[in-house]
Amino acid sequence: MKKLKGKIAVITGGSSGIGLATAKRFVEEGAQVVITGRREKELKEAAASIRDSVTAVAGDVSRMDDLDRLYALVKEKHGHIDILFANAGAGTVAPLAAATEAHFDQTFDVNVKGLFFSVQKALPLLKDGGSIILTSSVSNVLGLPAFSAYAASKAAVRSFARAWTLELKDRNIRVNSVSPGPIDTPALATTTGLTPEQAEQAAHQKPRHTALRTCSTDSCSNCAL
Amino acid sequence: MNEDTQIHATPFPALRKKHAMNRLNGRTAVITGGATGIGLAAAKRFVEEGAFVFIFGRRQEALDAAVGDLGPHARAVQGSVSDEADLDRLYRAVKAERGTLDIVFANAGTGSPLPLGQITAGHIDETFGTNVKGTIFTVQKALPLMGNGGSIILTGSSAGTTGAAGFTAYSASKAAVRNLARTWAEDLKGTGIRVNVLSPGATATELAKEALGEEGQKAYGAMTPLQRMADPAEIGAVAAFLASSDSSFMTASEVAVDGGLAQL
Repeated sequence: MKKLKGKIAVITGGSSGIGLATAKRFVEEGAQVVITGRREKELKEAAASIRDSVTAVAGDVSRMDDLDRLYALVKEKHGHIDILFANAGAGTVAPLAAATEAHFDQTFDVNVKGLFFSVQKALPLLKDGGSIILTSSVSNVLGLPAFSAYAASKAAVRSFARAWTLELKDRNIRVNSVSPGPIDTPALATTTGLTPEQAEQAAHQKPRHTALRTCSTDSCSNCAL
Repeated sequence: MNEDTQIHATPFPALRKKHAMNRLNGRTAVITGGATGIGLAAAKRFVEEGAFVFIFGRRQEALDAAVGDLGPHARAVQGSVSDEADLDRLYRAVKAERGTLDIVFANAGTGSPLPLGQITAGHIDETFGTNVKGTIFTVQKALPLMGNGGSIILTGSSAGTTGAAGFTAYSASKAAVRNLARTWAEDLKGTGIRVNVLSPGATATELAKEALGEEGQKAYGAMTPLQRMADPAEIGAVAAFLASSDSSFMTASEVAVDGGLAQL
């Protein structure tokens, strides 16, 4: 089942979690992937775990220079992009009353500005007929106490998919957003600022009513596919 | 991905070969409204992916043709989803030949325009009898045959979100269908059975092509961001995804396969 044979895919936030699981699945399906992430060590380990057909480029999507460097490398190595998975994102816990300006800026810099320019700067390389996938979150429609900046940033991402679908329709480039629920990724424990107990609780919560269980990252990457 | 865009231009047999996946190996599926259109396209895809499929529909002639097309891993049962006795007969046939059931694609539906001001009770009853009541009993009567890990797929419509001029009953019935999945995901908690809604938009089924004519198809297609109508096979592909474990973390969801029609 090689649905992506010969395709070139760029995945931001590719060193762990959903991004890494997606990179693995894309490679299984025949794609060449370029993964990017801020943490060099984790990124290298991720690339090693994928083994073939993968290039790792360290960088931060909220830094324009890093994005320029990423796409310059993609251009040099592959010449074009068929699939962009703009997946890098971050969220830290901060109740409204206690949130700082830095918390707000950091969340929107990565999730909104970083994603916006990840897509804009990819456009010259994206083939007509290509596919752009944005990682939103169930929180784009659900309230999430103490994660209001994160939830709002993910609503912005969902909105990008609507506008860009229209802007890119003449190039036959499809834009979709995937909205995962609670996914058991390393980031849940390491970057959210949750205590281990809270992370454990989040991983096993029943969001609103229904989730059967916390998702393995694999079932999420199936959808990106 | 953009392989999809190449697929549209490919004639059906080529497309069939291209997707020789086995995600549904050994599974048993029921597809209502399975003799034509989206139901038949899904049946083809399910069989290609290894499933054994029971198609259910009202017209014997169309069912015969479809089963001829689908080959040895398909059976047809004639009946209407709005008739409980017919549904009982369907599931008796499934039980007799296969014992259990893994996938239900509750896809049978009907819709005709009747402008506000001219709506009759009969029109409402007919539309809701098939689309809502028929869907409810299609699923309820299937449950005793379903084991753990099954998948239920309901056919919604972009009109369930947007409304459609002159289609009061149809649009409202599809909004109801979308809502069924929310309650059932709760009701089925702990069973491992997932339930999701697949909502097509402008789809070029034989029926739609006939009803719309050349001009109508162009106009309808032009309303979507992808600027064309869907090939029924494109809906069938997503039905197969929802039927398979590739969608294992999805329940109560609505998946729009509408070229963007209802998403902006």
